[in-house]
Amino acid sequence: MKRGMVWHRVAAVLFAIAAAGFALILGSVLWAGLPDLTWHFLASWPNERTGGGGILPELINTGVMVGLTLVITAPLGLAVAVYRREYRMRRAATLNHLRATLLSAPTIVVGLVVYRVAVGWWHWPVSLLTGCLALAVINWPFMVTVAGEALEGVPQGYREASLALGASRWQTIRRVVIPASLAQLVEGLGMAAARLAGESAALIVTAGVNVSRHWSFWAPGETLAVHIWYIRTEGLVLNRDAAAAATGVTLMVLIAVVLWLSRRIARWLE
Amino acid sequence: MPPEIRVEGLSVWYDRHHALKQVSLEVAPGEVLALIGPSGCGKSTFLRTLNRLLEEGGRARISGRVFLGDADIYDAAADIPDLRRRVGMVFQAPNPFPFSIFDNVAYGPRLQGVTDRQALRRIVERSLQQAALWDEVRGKLRRSALTLSGGQQQRLCIARALAVEPEVLLMDEPTASLDPMSTTKIEELVAALRGRYTIVMVTHNLRQAARISDRTAFFAEGTLIEVGPTRQMFTAPLDPRTEQYLTGRYES
Repeated sequence: MKRGMVWHRVAAVLFAIAAAGFALILGSVLWAGLPDLTWHFLASWPNERTGGGGILPELINTGVMVGLTLVITAPLGLAVAVYRREYRMRRAATLNHLRATLLSAPTIVVGLVVYRVAVGWWHWPVSLLTGCLALAVINWPFMVTVAGEALEGVPQGYREASLALGASRWQTIRRVVIPASLAQLVEGLGMAAARLAGESAALIVTAGVNVSRHWSFWAPGETLAVHIWYIRTEGLVLNRDAAAAATGVTLMVLIAVVLWLSRRIARWLE
Repeated sequence: MPPEIRVEGLSVWYDRHHALKQVSLEVAPGEVLALIGPSGCGKSTFLRTLNRLLEEGGRARISGRVFLGDADIYDAAADIPDLRRRVGMVFQAPNPFPFSIFDNVAYGPRLQGVTDRQALRRIVERSLQQAALWDEVRGKLRRSALTLSGGQQQRLCIARALAVEPEVLLMDEPTASLDPMSTTKIEELVAALRGRYTIVMVTHNLRQAARISDRTAFFAEGTLIEVGPTRQMFTAPLDPRTEQYLTGRYES
């Protein structure tokens, strides 16, 4: 057998193992969670004392926090990426280093720093907005990376053609570069949303592990991912594992829909 | 009448590399000048100094003077967008924007603030006709430019450049990536545009230079070796290096 053939087989076997592992996780969560995943579960409030009940506020909190975070960080990330890529930024290496460091920083550390600053110094309550701040700090290096890759994907020939027609650099960015990279930007946005929806560690300390009866930006805002952690560790109800699994299924479906939707929009834009 | 171009003592450095050495050259109004020479000899660099596109790369250092008509385009007060409107450019690989055919051609006029739909439509039709593409795309102007063939894309790029009514047209190996049929069309187009625009064209195709240019300039190792009427250049070059290059024996 040729060497290339051997490596091909090895790769195929490794892929099969990885796929089987993934299927096992997915299957066991579905197996445990699907029976509990009822309309009532999705549409009712959780029981504060036992950890049982529904997940409606968690669902809303996840959507609101991820959405708000993206609304804040997407333009910022794009702005930084545009400045770095299109304006021959000085100290780009320093920025890259900072971005890479933040990108790989444990999110619990980011959460604790945000807690110290927002709750300790500014006296913000442990709340939805504080959680958003933590998510924004977590997301901006990712957003810069995603936007940077989208801009890199725009052929240099487009920029040159635009400049050669008398466009300024800003006109070139606004009229050619960003429209040409829009599909990739939307896809990146979907990836960021999926990543944020699964964030838990930083939110445990900043947004809290319970929900308020009266929904507010300044009230504690537990998300789906945090809820899973909470009922698995603190829950008292008998079916807590099933409830956690059902929440997990909901979260996975949510993420799958977001990814699918962003990809569809991206294809349509292309 | 299109303007003449006068280049005086033009030098370009990329970091330490001296890419263009004291080039002085004149291009007469309305003529077609072909730039030939081995790869890396500086002819594309020279072309990009004429619309100041070279500076966009950020690495090049330029000295010398370039006059378009009476004005030095490297003067501190020079208006670069206006210069680039007057000096259009067509690139080696067709690079239409990923927009519709209409929006590609209308891009330049829109930059200048033309918003009236009727006016834009007239400009687009006129430019596409000038670029000999109108008959192939009429009725399909809303289609993506990327659905066109390579040769059509290149003619679209020429139409896009013509839409801003330039006086000079720079062409950087415009047929390098095209098949012979498309190449013929572009060459016919250049012949049709002669006289109305001052055209400077880089080409690796010596026969193409012989077919369509009035004068030819031969560059080697960043130096302008020789410039003269194309016929004389191809039959009786003055410099032995030109002759070596034309007969395929030049080694840098």
